[in-house]
Amino acid sequence: MAATLTAGAPARPRKLLASRRTRAGILYALPVVVYLLVLFVYPIFSTLLLSLKDADGSFTLHWYADALTGVNLSVLITTLRISAETAVLSLVFGFVLAQAISRLKPILAGLAMLVVVVPHFVSALVRTYGWIIMLGDKGLVNETLTAMPVPGAPFQLLYNELGVVIGTTSMMLPYTVLLLYGVMRGVDRRLLAAAASMGAGRVTIFRRVYLPLVAPGLASAGLLSFILSLGYYITPALMGGPNQTMIATLINQQVTKENQWNGAAAQGVILLVLTLAGLLLVKLVSSLGASRKKRNAS
Amino acid sequence: MELRKTLTGRIALTAVATVILLFLALPIVVILVTSFSNNAFAAFPPEAWTLNWYKALFADGSKWPAALSLSALVAALSTVFSLIIGVTAATALVRSELPLRSAVFALVLGPLVIPQIVTALGLFLLFEPAAMLGSPIAIALGHTVLASPIAVLILIATLRGIDERLEDAAASMGAGRLTIARKITFPLAAPGMIAAAIFSFITSFDEFYISQFLSSVDTVTLPVRVYNSLTFEIDPSVTAVSAILIAFAILALGLVALVRWLGSGRQDSLLSVETATGIATPGGEAV
Amino acid sequence: MAEFGVATPSVKVAGGKPATATGKALSVVALRKTYGDVVAVDEASMEIAAGEFVTFLGSSGSGKTTTLMMIAGFCEPDSGTITVGDRDVTRLAPQKRGLGFVFQQYLLFPHMTVSENVAFPLTLRGVGKDEIRRRVGETLEIAGLSGFGGRKPRELSGGQQQRVALCRALVYRPPVILMDEPLGALDKKLRDQLQVEIKTIQQELGLTVIYVTHDQEEALVMSDRIAVMRNGLIEQFDTPRELFERPRTPFVADFLGAANFLPGRIEQHTDAHTLVRLDNSGGLLKARRHDLAPGTQVKAAVQPGRLRASASDDGFCTGTVETATYVGTLVRAGVRIDGGDAPLLRLEVPAGRGPVAGERVGITADPDDVNLFAGEQAG
Repeated sequence: MAATLTAGAPARPRKLLASRRTRAGILYALPVVVYLLVLFVYPIFSTLLLSLKDADGSFTLHWYADALTGVNLSVLITTLRISAETAVLSLVFGFVLAQAISRLKPILAGLAMLVVVVPHFVSALVRTYGWIIMLGDKGLVNETLTAMPVPGAPFQLLYNELGVVIGTTSMMLPYTVLLLYGVMRGVDRRLLAAAASMGAGRVTIFRRVYLPLVAPGLASAGLLSFILSLGYYITPALMGGPNQTMIATLINQQVTKENQWNGAAAQGVILLVLTLAGLLLVKLVSSLGASRKKRNAS
Repeated sequence: MELRKTLTGRIALTAVATVILLFLALPIVVILVTSFSNNAFAAFPPEAWTLNWYKALFADGSKWPAALSLSALVAALSTVFSLIIGVTAATALVRSELPLRSAVFALVLGPLVIPQIVTALGLFLLFEPAAMLGSPIAIALGHTVLASPIAVLILIATLRGIDERLEDAAASMGAGRLTIARKITFPLAAPGMIAAAIFSFITSFDEFYISQFLSSVDTVTLPVRVYNSLTFEIDPSVTAVSAILIAFAILALGLVALVRWLGSGRQDSLLSVETATGIATPGGEAV
Repeated sequence: MAEFGVATPSVKVAGGKPATATGKALSVVALRKTYGDVVAVDEASMEIAAGEFVTFLGSSGSGKTTTLMMIAGFCEPDSGTITVGDRDVTRLAPQKRGLGFVFQQYLLFPHMTVSENVAFPLTLRGVGKDEIRRRVGETLEIAGLSGFGGRKPRELSGGQQQRVALCRALVYRPPVILMDEPLGALDKKLRDQLQVEIKTIQQELGLTVIYVTHDQEEALVMSDRIAVMRNGLIEQFDTPRELFERPRTPFVADFLGAANFLPGRIEQHTDAHTLVRLDNSGGLLKARRHDLAPGTQVKAAVQPGRLRASASDDGFCTGTVETATYVGTLVRAGVRIDGGDAPLLRLEVPAGRGPVAGERVGITADPDDVNLFAGEQAG
């Protein structure tokens, strides 16, 4: 019946009422739209313009050529590599932790989730500092390893790629745990029971039923942490050495130290394009997952 | 055989999960402990306890109070801006007919998915020519770009959670538009608005990238001061500041959890996965 | 309680007079509403007297809810007028109509206690504090909710919540209370109980109620008059008895009584009756007098409960009992009529005297219980 309160098929005489609601909608949307157009879209647009402008104002692509050659290229490759390492590690750890939490009793699960969520809201800067204290020569980790004793300890855990990846992984982990926990909650447990009733073993159930069900969620979570790592700056700058310079650090240096805005703009645009491509992939994966779910349901 | 496999599997899973949880929690615990240690640099566990680093924060010549008050001012401004934007935008997206609705929604999500360094660079290019670097207003305007989408998402979820027909019910009894807003919609939306305010505040308070690009030598927000003291000037008080920031974040989260719990009519238990994940994903499914 | 029935002078219905105990409470003239090409309500007209309990009965899509929403003001009619008392409210906002509304989903304000919910419409009208307390208390007592005033809505059961919603709608004595399937979310037992309660309160306080439901039984139990609606049209607006015994369309006969339809041709008229020659059995059926010309193709409608089965061969047709199901005090029987392949004739007879399967029976009916409809009228 088309006659509930929310019935909104706009017919002619209803137009008056509908247009009043539309006017109100446009009026209320105005602040956010104007604000973000001026302080978000326009600045990004001007970044794009700047990246295409030569010193004399003429059109050029040489900032992009610069950004994709020499040291800059190796920074870009480092960025991609560290992001990939971070994505894989946070995905694996996130999967294990989410899996464990989803099997806990409610109170314990709540506590565990709290341990995941609280760091998420503590400034990344502060958490990075915590890692620096912990991973130093006389930090908690090395002291413990020496006391055990582990041969070779203390290890160099800071100012190298290991330190950076430990740091960024701990920053991304809350995201992946939250995402994967949601995905796992969405899995219909009866499907697993059904598989078991047909005689499938635990490994088979996991590999043939469970994994395919959570695979799109896993892919999205991995891609998201990859994308988020790309623009990371605090942790690599504080926990890495010169060989772990990432693209965001480079952008920052060019603006604050070298006054090289055009180059920074070009690198910003490259970072933006990589991010958007990643997001597109996430969208693709999730729509794939949705269509699979639909097929399962029918 | 099957049972033992399950049992050992379970124990292994629990052990690994515990290590991962420690991995998340330890950096924070270490700071809290070290801030009371007589050796503020890296030695753990502490040999003796002291409050010196906290005292040093407010000693004469300390740069921390100025940074703290600037951050508080900027965060307060962004909270006000974000709430205004959040309430109007959520009303438009949930309670009105809006042409290009999905485009507006995508615009709102934009700042959350685009690397903050890119947003910060763009804002720098906007404010530098206007000679507004170091202006608290400029920094607050910049932070609002990041904080307002979060406020919008929280308030969208809040408004969606309020049955629109409650407003119809009030109207059927003779309540005018203003009365409905004051007596029905506002009290029901209050917990969501408080949560939006807290998250806007903490987003701005902790923000680093935009702050760093928009800072000048004299106006430095707390996170930028922390970063500087970690890279350039060695200041042992940074541990105490970090501990305060952690306490502040926990306090804010506790407040949000409490408000949600009271607002939901104490249905979920205060300490539950639902509460925890609910806090972490304030926009719910909209995100 | 009796005192409550007297309209309290301090109640001011926005812009109008309090409803008087007699006369016209509400009228609707040629109300029409379309959604695109779909006509939701087609020229609905009716007058409702004060103190009357009127039900809009129909399946979903019949236009009953749309009509109610237009009366309430939540939905704007394309054309037509709605008058409350002497006031044209057709284009007024809901809050200016001064009506009461009870929703299916209760819609109690979750942040207010039961008392605050019931007091809400009174505070809007500037009623004094003591007066509010007194009237909220009285109203809750009528609904059997004394002692629940301090609770929050979510602490109540569905039935209790709907009672509170009812209190909230009647505490300010609106001239008409509209109810949109208020019992739809409750289970059968509670529904039966609340039907009686609502009806009792309505009668004691002399309330004018417009009630929407798709449940025939509910409509028959509660209503003074029922408007049977289909495809946006009011098929018939009458007392339950008239609808049941003198349905004006085959749809009404079928919808309310699940009537048997027997095709036939008018043979002749007598002073009081019309005789119909049935197509299938060839028998002669005596029906209520109808003005159609002899030879016209008709359908004779008889409710299952108005047919009688006798062991003898008399009656307008004979047949064999194929099914006989005991349902409490009744036996539902299906009879295969001799000659022709008509659908089973459905009978409801008191248990104990019921036929058994396989038995040969003759079927009779009181001519006053047989209604005729011209053949082209759709069933």
